[in-house]
Amino acid sequence: MLIKRTERQSRRANLATALTQPSGGGLDRRTFLRRSGLAAGGLATLGALPLGSVRKAAAAGPIPGAQTTIRKNICTHCSVGCTVVAEVQNGVWTGQEPGWDSPLNRGSHCAKGAATREIVHGDRRLRYPMKLVNGQWTRISWDTAINEIGDKLNAIREKSGPDSVYWLGSAKFTNEGSYLNRKFAAYWGTNNVDHQARICHSTTVAGVANTWGYGAMTNSYNDIRNAKTIVFLGSNAAEAHPVSLQHILEGKELNRANFVVMDPRMTRTGAHATEYVRIRPGTDIPVIWGMLHHIFKNEWEDKDFIRQRVYGMDDVRKEVEKWTPEEVERVTGVPGAQLKRVAEMLAKQRPATMIWAMGQTQHTVGTATVRASCTLLLATGNVGFSGTGANIFRGHTNVQGATDLGLDIVTLPLYYGLVEGAWRHWSRVWETDFEWFRSRFADPKMMNTAGIPSTRWFDATLLPKDQVAQKDNLKAMFVMGHGGNTVTRIPEAVKGIEALDLLVVADPVPTTWAAVSDRKNDTYLLPVATSYETAGSRTASNRSLQWGEQIVKPIFESKDDLEVMYLLAKKLGFADRMFKNIKVENNLPVAEDILREINRGGFSTGYCGQSPERLKAHMKNQAKFDLVTLRAPKDDPEVGGDYYGLPWPCWGKPEIKHPGTPILYNTTLHVKEGGGTFRARFGVERNGVSLLADGVYSVGSEIRDGYPEFNLGVLKKLGWDKDLTAEELATIQRINSANPDAVSWAIDLSGGIQRVCLEHGVMHYGNAKARANAFGLPDPVPVHREPIYSPRPELVAKYPTLPDVKAQFRVPNLGFTVQKQNVDKGIAKEFPIILTSGRLVEYEGGGEETRSNKWLAELQQDAFIEINPADATARGITDGAWVWVFGPADTRPKARVKALVTERVGRGVAWMPFHFGGWFQGVDQRSKYPKGSDPVVLGESVNTLTTYGFDPVTGMQEPKATLCQIRAA
Amino acid sequence: MARMKFLCDADRCIECNACVTACKNEHEVPWGINRRRVVTLNDGKPGERSISMACMHCTDAPCAAVCPVNCFYTTADAVVLHSKDLCIGCGYCFYACPFGAPQYPRVGNFGSRGKMDKCTFCAGGPEADGSKEEYAKYGANRLAEGKLPLCAEMCSTKSLLAGDGEIIAQIYKERVVKRGYGSGAWGWKTAYRESIAS
Amino acid sequence: MRTRLAHIRFIIGALALAFVVAVAAPAGAQDRNPDGSVNPTASAVNEEQLLNALRGGAVSGRVTIPDQKAATLIQPEGQVWRDFHEVTLRWIGLIAIIGMLILLVGFYMWRGMVMIQSGRSGRVIVRFNGFERFIHWMTATCFIILAITGLNITFGRPLFASAFGSEAFTTWSQWAKYAHNYLSFPFTIGVVVIFLMWIAGNIPNRTDVEWVKQGGGMVDPSKHPPAYRFNAGQKMMYWIVVLGGTAMAITGYIMMFPFYVTDMAGMQFSQIVHGVVGVLFVAAMLAHIYIGSIGMEGAFEAMGTGTVDENWAKEHHPLWLEEQKKGPAAGGARPMATPAE
Repeated sequence: MLIKRTERQSRRANLATALTQPSGGGLDRRTFLRRSGLAAGGLATLGALPLGSVRKAAAAGPIPGAQTTIRKNICTHCSVGCTVVAEVQNGVWTGQEPGWDSPLNRGSHCAKGAATREIVHGDRRLRYPMKLVNGQWTRISWDTAINEIGDKLNAIREKSGPDSVYWLGSAKFTNEGSYLNRKFAAYWGTNNVDHQARICHSTTVAGVANTWGYGAMTNSYNDIRNAKTIVFLGSNAAEAHPVSLQHILEGKELNRANFVVMDPRMTRTGAHATEYVRIRPGTDIPVIWGMLHHIFKNEWEDKDFIRQRVYGMDDVRKEVEKWTPEEVERVTGVPGAQLKRVAEMLAKQRPATMIWAMGQTQHTVGTATVRASCTLLLATGNVGFSGTGANIFRGHTNVQGATDLGLDIVTLPLYYGLVEGAWRHWSRVWETDFEWFRSRFADPKMMNTAGIPSTRWFDATLLPKDQVAQKDNLKAMFVMGHGGNTVTRIPEAVKGIEALDLLVVADPVPTTWAAVSDRKNDTYLLPVATSYETAGSRTASNRSLQWGEQIVKPIFESKDDLEVMYLLAKKLGFADRMFKNIKVENNLPVAEDILREINRGGFSTGYCGQSPERLKAHMKNQAKFDLVTLRAPKDDPEVGGDYYGLPWPCWGKPEIKHPGTPILYNTTLHVKEGGGTFRARFGVERNGVSLLADGVYSVGSEIRDGYPEFNLGVLKKLGWDKDLTAEELATIQRINSANPDAVSWAIDLSGGIQRVCLEHGVMHYGNAKARANAFGLPDPVPVHREPIYSPRPELVAKYPTLPDVKAQFRVPNLGFTVQKQNVDKGIAKEFPIILTSGRLVEYEGGGEETRSNKWLAELQQDAFIEINPADATARGITDGAWVWVFGPADTRPKARVKALVTERVGRGVAWMPFHFGGWFQGVDQRSKYPKGSDPVVLGESVNTLTTYGFDPVTGMQEPKATLCQIRAA
Repeated sequence: MARMKFLCDADRCIECNACVTACKNEHEVPWGINRRRVVTLNDGKPGERSISMACMHCTDAPCAAVCPVNCFYTTADAVVLHSKDLCIGCGYCFYACPFGAPQYPRVGNFGSRGKMDKCTFCAGGPEADGSKEEYAKYGANRLAEGKLPLCAEMCSTKSLLAGDGEIIAQIYKERVVKRGYGSGAWGWKTAYRESIAS
Repeated sequence: MRTRLAHIRFIIGALALAFVVAVAAPAGAQDRNPDGSVNPTASAVNEEQLLNALRGGAVSGRVTIPDQKAATLIQPEGQVWRDFHEVTLRWIGLIAIIGMLILLVGFYMWRGMVMIQSGRSGRVIVRFNGFERFIHWMTATCFIILAITGLNITFGRPLFASAFGSEAFTTWSQWAKYAHNYLSFPFTIGVVVIFLMWIAGNIPNRTDVEWVKQGGGMVDPSKHPPAYRFNAGQKMMYWIVVLGGTAMAITGYIMMFPFYVTDMAGMQFSQIVHGVVGVLFVAAMLAHIYIGSIGMEGAFEAMGTGTVDENWAKEHHPLWLEEQKKGPAAGGARPMATPAE
């Protein structure tokens, strides 16, 4: 018997030596590991037998004799914010270790997180800048690329105006990158700047912010551990946010919590539920109103909470009365008894939380759905406390941060809006003349006009010029870190791509933008570093900011996003203005400086307290934060009393050391300890009814009732202005010398108003009621509206979509007409299966990056469609066979995918993952990628089939509820 | 002396495949070789459960018993390892293994399937601990560094446990008591001839 | 032994059955909520219940990787196969081969070499031409090597591994495996040619009944039972070679190209058939070698020089000799068996 040579003692000795050796970063464990190609010896000499080596010769692995440095960054593949611990040797990322210290992931990863090393060192990345020359990808230098692109942009600007260039940014930017990208668009002179939030949680942000103040997850992943009832409506967190399940499942086990999953699919999350409720796609509002119907009928609502903290619940009552159990079952398919039981849990087994993601948001009624969910939580008193809340799971590392920093068509950084006051605020922060900005825009009106949503860019390219409410059609797309297959109606998008005068894709991988069309010229690919090669902060879904270090220098000829933006700004002539207060080293803007600038201007949302120094201290002291409360012990010298990642809002200047806000609107804490109230954002009264809170206030508040938001004038009335330092007062007076009293807490660059309010225990943004009736929005009280491609034409008459609008975000929204046509034409008969889409754990987003990762690609090698066995049998389709899926759009799109026959989907429902691309209507487009940069796995995108339909508030598309027909291929 | 074991708590496993890619990452396992995999039972039905499975490092390992050339050996930690220098690629261990652990670089080239590859419990092979030869043939040797298998360390929900059998059994038992249900320590009866009362 | 064989038989259909059961063995009705809606946690599949329901069948599920073998989570049949390989097959092999050797030694001691009763005539007659002999010896050589290298897989390790040392034994086994794989091709060709070449003389007929009744003349040396070119004993050997060889070839190629045509159960079954038929084949061939060498005077020449003494032919294949003397026109005689003169 062969016995392992080494004994345990000698192993321990190894470990001991390693620990005592003076090494750069922790355990120098692979110092003695050497790379090797083939091992010779034994049977290798037999020639004919290749010795079984598990390792391939190329790629990374431990490097001989090299020092190992440990660097921390944040996984980019969802919003949980898992810490990635990288072992770097000689500038090469050679190993990954669990990040045990992070309270967010405690060492854990999902398939994507555990494979991130390959994302950086993968051989499918873009290596150097390229352009299409008569249909051929040709290598060019960075200088050439920037010069040519800059000249073309200027030419388009000259001819068609600044609004004809679209700046599509990324949720994979750092906060600094997102902010800089938004700032860049401002300096260019357009509001046509957007990123992935448009297609994931734009409706959440709009819905939630319009209900209680801020557009974000109210609590945290960790806090779900406290919940007694957890309701997933439109989230498959087990696949989309796997590490969050660590907290949720542990919470479920410890509290023996109710774990309810409401979804059209019996998802991987549903498999762990204590109650699974199958609903029809697109009927979330009736489901929610159905629950509320039971709650009101049985008087399970939290009457005190509603009286004190909610406005307009009676209006909701009226709408909810219509949703009798019978009507709910008729529309949604959910039995009344089951819904009643879930409603009772939510109301009685508190704290209860609702979790959602794309299942609620990606609808023409997305914003309304989100508001209905908020209303349900408000009615049951499940907001603003530990274990409760709207736990909205976002999709990328920094989609929350990018949204916060205004990489968006409707706002400037940190939700300052598109109004003159906001522009003036940022002009002050940026120290750039307001009038100069005005001159950059096509006309001053466009400065305050929301841009075109990323879901509609190709409509703005293809529609007749007179239907696009700006000077000219879109002529150029400048895309950074954003897939092309993530928007609906791909056949039309392809035409849009072909119609562009200029297409620039700056990304680590070519993306479908590069391959899907038949463009021949004027197309550029710029190799950009992945997030792991970039330093900066990222905001997780729970609003915690984490500072990621650069793990390795950008590989090949890749450049950091910040550098690309700087080079382009320089070429376009506004770099000096734009980087006035930001240090630039070797063309690379310093991330820390950008964050400091964000801090200086970010008072509205509490991005003012998270200085780079504080964030770096948090990363260093990760182990000190509590798993459940996320708080560090008060006596810690560096991070004492802080919540992990200083979850925004983190008020005031960094020096006042606000600890961050782990739970929004939490009145049980002092505002200096992270407490808060609902935001007074919508006035003080409406039609004689007060909008301010009634008899509730945060702990320690000197004002023991509701109150409006603060400005210097209010401070004066209370006599608190004396607490301002002279310096603070001087700053306030500088901001508005004519009327300093009107300077509000949000534009007070001194942070004085916030500091003084915190000292008095009050929330500077006011103490108001949340709105169950969100006046000012379409459908102030949410009402059900059938999807544009409804499978139930008989319901369309009763629940039609909103009327057409000629110019909504500069383009027409013809949802009503399309819906009516569909009913008239009997589309639902021709396409009898509901098609919905979702996420796989192995891939992310459009999937180009993850499909280029061989470790992930191996696990999902074919695009597929889930079909119920009954539907499959009726069509002669067997599991694993190829099928054609036909879409109902006028373009009559089709897709060839494999069938996965499963009861996971109900009868009449089919589901496709949205990560595939590189096939188009049955044609493999691999040859169109630059050689060597084609993803490992290609497949049909579901968005070839998805259809028209847009949320009126945000321009959100509707990929979660459309129709299709399936035939065996 | 510790008796190393794996335990997959199926009531925690969400088929996120982190264990699979962590393994690929740590050992640079090539395409087509799956030292670890996740199998979903009752896929898409109520009661669906996923289980992460690799070599269980059995007591009285069947692979070792049927190997015609005696290439398997058991370490002091009861980890079942093998020597690729001795393996003749006959494929018998795969027929005997209850868990489908052995993997082969080739599907069958006149019977030569190449050197068998399988989970090493991150404990390398017969070569010197941490040597380049060991890494090339078997991947990293974490156990020698005082670390546990990366698949379990990176498990998203702490479903996959690795370590001393008694300790992980205790963890699992406590979980079952606390939450009131447990679908079993999958494979334990087959691999270790013991089951954890739940 | 009986139960083990029952197990082995069970393997064949087990996998297919297992899948059906695995699918059909989810929750009981008690795992539902009062109104009949499902509680996925309570209805979770439980290992112990599942294994009981499957009664030794494999636990299978779904995997996303293309290798569908990976979808089998636990296959208890592996244990059955292991038992077969480690215990059953070794016993069968031991009994068959050692038993046959003992039998032959005993027979030799009792009966000695079967002599040509009437002595050699000095006249010879062609029994096997050059091609036939070439095929025979090619097949025979392959068989011997295949047998030794094959037995090595099952018996080599307990017998030699410790004596040789692991490295040396592995080197030998590796070469043995290559020899086993590559020599299977000429062996298979040999079996096919043998089948075609001698099929005419090996169709059982009434003569064989008489031959068997007289015990093939082995018991009473004075009796010479009737036989054409091949007597019933030789026919039996022919069919053992043809059928056994076919079985070995088919199961062997299945194992050489694993999982191309069958699943795990099929692979295990193939190995079982290959092993059992293999050792029985070896035992049978020992008898053949015995009778063709020291067991009978004048027999070896038939495959050695290709000619036999007429008296030998008269005693052992009288009807064949008559045919040969009548000439090729007579029914039943093969042209290639015609004397060369």
